[in-house]
Amino acid sequence: MNNVIIIGAGPAGMSAAIACAQKGLDVVVIDEYLKAGGRLLGQLYEQPDGSWWNGIEESARLHQQALDLGVQIQLNTPVNNIEHHDGQWTIYTEHETLSTNHLLLATGAAESPIPVPGWTLPGVMSVGAAQVMTNVHRVKPGERGVIIGVNVLSSAIAMELKLAGIDVACMALPKMSQLTDQQAHPKHVLDSLLHVSHMAPSQFVKLGSKLMKNDFMKKLGVTFYPKRGVNMWDIPIQLRKAVIEIYGEKQVEGVTVATIDSNGEIVAGTEENVEADFVCIAGGLYPLAELAALTGCPFYLIEELGGYIPLHNERMETPLDGLYVAGNITGIEGAKVAAAQGTTAGLTIAKQAGFEGLDGEIEEAIQVVEETRDQSYIQFHPEVNKGREMVKEKWEEYVLPLRSI
Amino acid sequence: MTQRIVDHPILGSIEEKEQVSFTFNEKEYYGMNGEPIAAALLANGVRTLRHHEEKATPRGIYCNIGHCFECRVTVDGKQGVRSCLTPLQEGMVIESGGTLPTPVKDWSAKNE
Amino acid sequence: MTEDMIICRCEEVTYKELAETANKYNCSARELKLRTRAGMGYCGGRTCRNMVDKLAADLTDERQTQITLKYQPPIRPIHFGDLGGGQS
Ligand SMILES: Cc1cc2nc3c(=O)[nH]c(=O)nc-3n(C[C@H](O)[C@H](O)[C@H](O)COP(=O)(O)OP(=O)(O)OC[C@H]3O[C@@H](n4cnc5c(N)ncnc54)[C@H](O)[C@@H]3O)c2cc1C
Ligand code: FES
Repeated sequence: MNNVIIIGAGPAGMSAAIACAQKGLDVVVIDEYLKAGGRLLGQLYEQPDGSWWNGIEESARLHQQALDLGVQIQLNTPVNNIEHHDGQWTIYTEHETLSTNHLLLATGAAESPIPVPGWTLPGVMSVGAAQVMTNVHRVKPGERGVIIGVNVLSSAIAMELKLAGIDVACMALPKMSQLTDQQAHPKHVLDSLLHVSHMAPSQFVKLGSKLMKNDFMKKLGVTFYPKRGVNMWDIPIQLRKAVIEIYGEKQVEGVTVATIDSNGEIVAGTEENVEADFVCIAGGLYPLAELAALTGCPFYLIEELGGYIPLHNERMETPLDGLYVAGNITGIEGAKVAAAQGTTAGLTIAKQAGFEGLDGEIEEAIQVVEETRDQSYIQFHPEVNKGREMVKEKWEEYVLPLRSI
Repeated sequence: MTQRIVDHPILGSIEEKEQVSFTFNEKEYYGMNGEPIAAALLANGVRTLRHHEEKATPRGIYCNIGHCFECRVTVDGKQGVRSCLTPLQEGMVIESGGTLPTPVKDWSAKNE
Repeated sequence: MTEDMIICRCEEVTYKELAETANKYNCSARELKLRTRAGMGYCGGRTCRNMVDKLAADLTDERQTQITLKYQPPIRPIHFGDLGGGQS
């Protein structure tokens, strides 16, 4: 029997492990990937103070700190199932079965796809796949790519590809369909792009953030958006073009794009081919909560947080005894917020495991989560605070009847 | 042919790792010890990892982090191995794969 | 072209197949999956689940309501050799 088991060695899981181990708990961290760090590994961007956020270094630092504290880290170990019996959690991995009283799920996020005709061809990958291939494994996903979907993550990764010397032919929108929502709508995309304007040394976007405060201006902005696109880091960003097909015989050879009007409708006869040997699909992120779902934990659909969220409180407890969540499983945010949530979860677990006098530290950790959120450089959803408030309300609603019993 | 990113303006030079040999569909290749099989193959210009069991359409990596199972191959006789997160080792015999191990749906159908 | 677009990569289920089935049977997300096999393949629906849900007829506004997410274990396929391998 272990004191604490943590599933996921990303920034949330590792920070939780460190917090628990610092209080003297025995911790096992399980992850199916071959390196510790989760999705932090691939991250690389310049921070406002001019320093670089280097995910590989940050991951290595967390990993070393955990090892120094005696945390056991089992990599290459997928978890298939978890069960709860008699106050105890059983964890089934591909190799063995473990049990614990305190289980933290820190399984992070997954990418949502955008279906495009031809998207099963080899060479088509999620935008995160290209990020990991480039920054973590140091293999080029291809020589020349096209990115479908313009959002915070794909803009950041486009720049990372450029840094590694990979040509990005263009970024364009997906063709509108019943499945694409607002990602195919130029006005909506422009709106959300304004939230990355600080990352973009582009006159248009800079101008845009000043000018585009109201809807009317935004509509004008899209209407007059140049058909050739606007360059960000030398990459044409085409909000008035949609990819209608990916072509190639045995693997990607290129994409067909067409001009769209300001409502996202295709203008007939404008199709043209763009050659490329890889294509990235950027449909955004959603919390990977499948293990939490197996427990019967209540969920809520909260779009501001990226999807279905397992109910939890600010101390990272779920309504189920001994089950905790932290990081992107609780909503899509950057790695620093995930790490701060992990620290909070670790302290909460230590308290539940019998350590006294931790309330002050836990309160402080919750404060740090909020401050980190407010100072975030990358905000995946502009209304993340609203989403967090909704979770708090749901928690209150849920525990109120229990309290009055 | 795709290539390794040997130098990087921020991340520096690529980490030196021991070179190992392996086979994929009976052809010999070289890769770096411990890197994911899919990365080693891509560095050799190989994108197609398998063909769809029924429709025979070619498939390569999609998510690259273990979620989609599109990259599954057979490694030293073990089927359904995700090549995007399985570390490469000297002498591995890798194949595009034949029949499937129990897919999730059959497994859960039997156990419901 | 869009009609023949694949939605579920594992089972190669197309947009057309899903849209037609959803219309014909006016089915829930679960029924749509069982009828077409979309989302029932190797990846356990991690890639296409949300898209299939969107195409299903019963998608009312789930916002604000508490639900349980339906997942079946194992969430990763188990290899024959590994079955019964609990050695804790
Ligand atoms: C592809 C991708 C790219 C991203 N890029 C950026 C970016 O550039 N900038 C940014 O700020 N944010 C990015 N994010 C958001 C990212 O999720 C957060 O920044 C942060 O990494 C979340 O930390 P976490 O600890 O919650 O989860 P993660 O870092 O995702 O770690 C979760 C870990 O859990 C493991 N895991 C999941 N399920 C299982 C299982 N069943 N069995 C065993 N192990 C399991 C995974 O292998 C993973 O290592 C990205 C997310 C994704 C999915
Ligand atoms: S590419 Fe998705 S699991 Fe390997």
